[in-house]
Formats: sequence, C-alpha cells, structure tokens
Amino acid sequence: MEALIQLMNGFGTALAPMNLAFAAIGVMLGTAVGVLPGIGPALTVALLLPVTFKMDPGGSLIMFAGIYYGGMYGGSTTAILLNTPGEAASVVTALEGNQMARRGRGGPALATAAIGSFVAALIATIGLAFLAPILVKVAVKFGPWDYFGLMLIAFVTVSATFGNSPLRGLTSLALGLWLGLIGIDQLTGQTRLAFGVPNLFDGIEVTTLAVGLFAIGEALHVASRHAYAPEKPMAISGSMWMSRADWARSWKPWLRGAAFGFPIGALPAGGAEIPTFLSYTTERKLSKHPEEFGHGAIEGVAGPEAANNASAAGSLVPLLTLGLPTSATAAVMLAGFQQYNIQPGPLLFATHAPLVWGLIASLFIANVMLLVLNLPLVGLWVQLLKIPLPWLYAGILVFATMGTIAANPSVIELLLLSGFGVLGFLMRRYDYPVAPVIVGLILGPMADNQFRRALQISQGDPMVFLQHPGSAVMIGLATLALVAPFLFRGLARFRQDED
Amino acid sequence: MQHEPDHDAALPPRSPWAGRERIAGLTLTLFGLFALWAGHDLPFMTERGMGSGLMPRALAILIILCGLIQIALSWRDSGPSTGTWPMGRNLPVLAGVFLFAVTIRGYQLGPLTIPPLGLAVATPLAIVLSGLAAEDARLGELAIFALIMTLICIGLFRFALGLSIPVAPWLIGY
Repeated sequence: MEALIQLMNGFGTALAPMNLAFAAIGVMLGTAVGVLPGIGPALTVALLLPVTFKMDPGGSLIMFAGIYYGGMYGGSTTAILLNTPGEAASVVTALEGNQMARRGRGGPALATAAIGSFVAALIATIGLAFLAPILVKVAVKFGPWDYFGLMLIAFVTVSATFGNSPLRGLTSLALGLWLGLIGIDQLTGQTRLAFGVPNLFDGIEVTTLAVGLFAIGEALHVASRHAYAPEKPMAISGSMWMSRADWARSWKPWLRGAAFGFPIGALPAGGAEIPTFLSYTTERKLSKHPEEFGHGAIEGVAGPEAANNASAAGSLVPLLTLGLPTSATAAVMLAGFQQYNIQPGPLLFATHAPLVWGLIASLFIANVMLLVLNLPLVGLWVQLLKIPLPWLYAGILVFATMGTIAANPSVIELLLLSGFGVLGFLMRRYDYPVAPVIVGLILGPMADNQFRRALQISQGDPMVFLQHPGSAVMIGLATLALVAPFLFRGLARFRQDED
Repeated sequence: MQHEPDHDAALPPRSPWAGRERIAGLTLTLFGLFALWAGHDLPFMTERGMGSGLMPRALAILIILCGLIQIALSWRDSGPSTGTWPMGRNLPVLAGVFLFAVTIRGYQLGPLTIPPLGLAVATPLAIVLSGLAAEDARLGELAIFALIMTLICIGLFRFALGLSIPVAPWLIGY
C-alpha cells in the first residue's frame, strides 16, 4: 500500500509540464534511434550525458528512461518492415514480422508489436513499482560482503552474456576494470597509472569512455566500411488493424512474453535477448498453427516484442534498488545518476523518494505516449531511414565532441575521447563486446570499496565473505556462472547483444 | 547493437597470422605487457595489507592471459580476415575530432598559436573534414549539411542549454 501512495506522489512529479516534456522528448528520440540501425539507446543516452549534466536530475533521468523504452518500440518497426532489426532485442521479431509484412500483413504485425509492447511494459512497470520496495527492504540489510558478492555476480554474468564468448566478455571486463584503476587510489592516496597527466588524477570520466566507445567507435566502424546502400522499407499494404482472430492469437503471447521478460530482465544476468528467444520458442511449441512459424505467425511477433519491453522495465529493478546495471543502457543510465552525485541503491528510495517514484510513474506515461506515437505514425518513423548514413554519423560525431568539450573543457579530454574511439573501433573489428568495459569502469571501484570495507570490519580476515550466508551464496553462484559456460557449451547460445 | 556483416572482413584470411583471432590475441598480450609496465613502480604489498600495485598487476596479468588463450585458440579457428585497414576513411574522422579540439577554445600547438575560433568555425571544419571519410562525399552537399549542423549546435548548446562554449569570439566577443 505504501508503494501505491508513493506511486501516486510520483505521478504528481511526472505530470509536471517540464517532466512531461522530457518524457516526450525521450520517447521520440528513443523511437528514432530504435528505428535507425547501428544506433541504440545506450549510445543515445551516452551522447546526452554531457549535455544534461547541468539540467534537473529528475527531468533528464525521465528522458533517459523514455529513450530506453522508446528504443525497444522503435526496433520492432525496422525488424518488421526491413528485416534489419534496429536493435538486438528485435532480432527474433524480424523472423516472423518480416514474413508477415511480405504477405501484406505488415499492419497487423506492427500493431501486435506495439500493443504487445504496451501491455508488457505496463505489467512490467507495475512489477517494478511493487518489487522494488520489497527488494529495497532486503537490500538495506546488506553488508559490504553481500555487495561484493553481488558485484562479482554482475561481473561474471556481464562477461558471460555479452558478446560471442565468455573469454571475449571477460577480456572486455578486465580492460574496463583496469581503466577504473587509473587515478588516485582512495586508500593509499597514491596516483596510479596516470602517466603524470593531471587530467587523469581523478580517474577516467565514465561519460568520456561511454561516448568514445559507443559513439566515436561506431562512427569509425561505419566510416571504415564500404558505401552503404539503404534498403527500401516495405510499404504497408492492407489494413493497419488487427482482426478478431489476430487479437485472439496475440493476447496470450503478450502475457507470456511479459512473464519471461520481466523476471529475466531483473536478474543480474538479464538483458533482452534471452527472454525474446525463450518467448519465441515457447510460442512455437504452444501454437495451434506451428506450421505458420517461419512464414509469418503473429504469435512469433507478439510474444518476443512483449518480452523485450518487459525486460527493459525489469532491468531497472536491479539498477534502482541495488545500483547494478544489467544491460548496456542501464550501465550508461547508472553513469547518468552518478553525474548528479546520486547513487542508485537501497538508499535511493529513502533519500530521493520523489525522484525515484517520479521516474517510475513517468514510465507509465512514456508507455502511453509510445503507443500513441507508434501506431498511427509508423510511416513517419520509417522515413528516418532515408537519412544518409554519413550525415547521421557526422552529426553524432559533432554531438559527441561538443558534449565532451562542454562538460570538461580540455584538449586532453578530447584526446582521450579519440583514444577510446579507436579502442571501440578495434573492439568492434575484433568482435569484442563494448558494454563490459563500461560496467567494469563503473563497478570496479565500487567493488573495490566494498571489498576493503568488508576487510576493515573483519580486521583483515578474508573468510568474512564466506561466513555470511548471503555473500557465500552469491560468491558460489558467481563461481558457478563463471565455470558453467566453459563446461556446458550448450549454454553459449544464451548470450546477449549490446543494448 | 546490430552490425551488418562486414563484407571485406568476412573473407577467410590469407594466413592464420592475418586472422582476426590471432591479431586480437597479440594486441591484447601487448597491451597487457604495457599495463604491467605502467604499474611496475607501485608497491605490490604493504605491511598494512594490499598495496596499490596489487590490482593493476593482477588485471594486467589477466589481460595477458586472455590474450594468450586467444592466440592459442586461433590455431583451432583463425577467424575471418581483419580486412583492409581503411586509414583513408578513418583518419579524417579522427582528424576532425582533433581539429575541433584545438580550434574551439584555441590552443598552443608548439610554435603555432591557434586563436579561439568558437563553434562558428570549429564545427563546420570538423564536419567537412570528417565528412570526407565517406566514399560518396560531395562537397556541396557537405557544406550545406555543415552549415545546418553548425546553426543547430549553436542554438542548442549555447542558447537552449546555456553552456559556456564560445560561439565566435573573434566576431561577436563570446
């Protein structure tokens, strides 16, 4: 009940005209970047970090969440009409959705994706509103050892689920952790790995790293490839609306998709890929028309689309309650909180209650906005694909540079940005995931802190991590998760792409 | 993020040494060695427990290990070719960022003093230079695009967001 009252207060915050405007900007930007291939919500939020640091924290966080939700909606449009998923979570949607569009049923495919996304995100956001306070009650009892265990789980799952192999993920994570060491060591006061550059004494800015890896790296990657010929999206022929039979075949997959997406998104190993695949295979098994799968079965669009939106809401649970990012976008959003000196975690709900509940309430509003924006305006969004790619990337490049110079006016910072851009390019070339680097940079110093605090309390006895049942279980799970993918090759298919 | 298949990188390499896996492993190993060297003067252990050099060294060794495993695995599968190194298309992009960095607020570059030129000059310079990276770049189109982007940037960053980035100090004084 308390959650309900808080949520009502949150609506008061979210319905303030400024915050409504931020939510609207967020969902529009999010849909746009979801539609555009190669640009995802993580990159967009990263680009916006430096330009929002002077703005009101509530408003910009509402905008970031809108981008996250919007990206999930927008991705389905290109998946269905172009067969090129705008973001990774829509890969499955492309399987059936594009087949439907080829058969003149693009309208109902888009409709079931949009309405399913709406229904699932609604359920998942309700789940977030009620699960978060419960988790907070548990998390306030966490000691530093528990947090350390939790971060170990996050490290392992992030490296195991992003990218093509656990080895590659682990490598990226190690790079990020190493970068996190740069600067003055909090315990000894010694400067580490700064090479005498004063700008590095305070450590590497998360925003510089994120913008460099995501934006500059992607721009270099695109520039390095041969001229890109845009595909022509399929025209939507026939009715836009779903028939009675379409509704009857869609509503159960929506609910099941939400049931997969939310809990898996909320797990530290979450992400949107696994639930969408699970939802797709489940729908194929349960369908009365299994023969239609592969040839445009509406269930194959309804379920996965619901699952990916629900997982976006799910991944906000560990982010807000524990300060743990489980997706690339969540990692960049965490950096967004940090730039306002707000630390997500159980205390967030006590110290910044209006902000958190305003954010959660705004998710409901963003969801309604997205439904309105997406169904009737789908033709407009597809027009975005006509923007020549070099222009798009030149724009991103200018925006990235500008944002960095605005936040931290120094040439060194821009050189770092270029350096991280080259790193991001090389990692894309060599097929290494980028997201674990950012997670490592953010969580590394935090894990280090918790580790040392735990040792201080136990007076240097490392057994403290195994004596507390919570941390012992978590460290055990982390070890298991680290070893399992190497033992069971079959698990390797459970991987997630970035975003 | 989803990438379309890289056409020139999808080819099998001419030799395993040109394969993606082995080059990635070598790069990593070299980087790990560099990291090891960079942290070599930090104390490993102190009488009070962990020294500030413990983690840098541990991570450097982890990176070297990852690199070596990658090299070892490359004998089983050398991966696709890393493709050509499109410096002609990448350098303009980086040069654009660099040019923007030194012109926006001015910079002392050795004997050369660059005055603060502000957004009005730095933005179009960066866009035109990085735009040359595109194979099908047309200068006229690029100029119009640069002009529009510059106006958007000045409006957004200086006036809408109120950030203190100089616009054209040589002309209007801010």
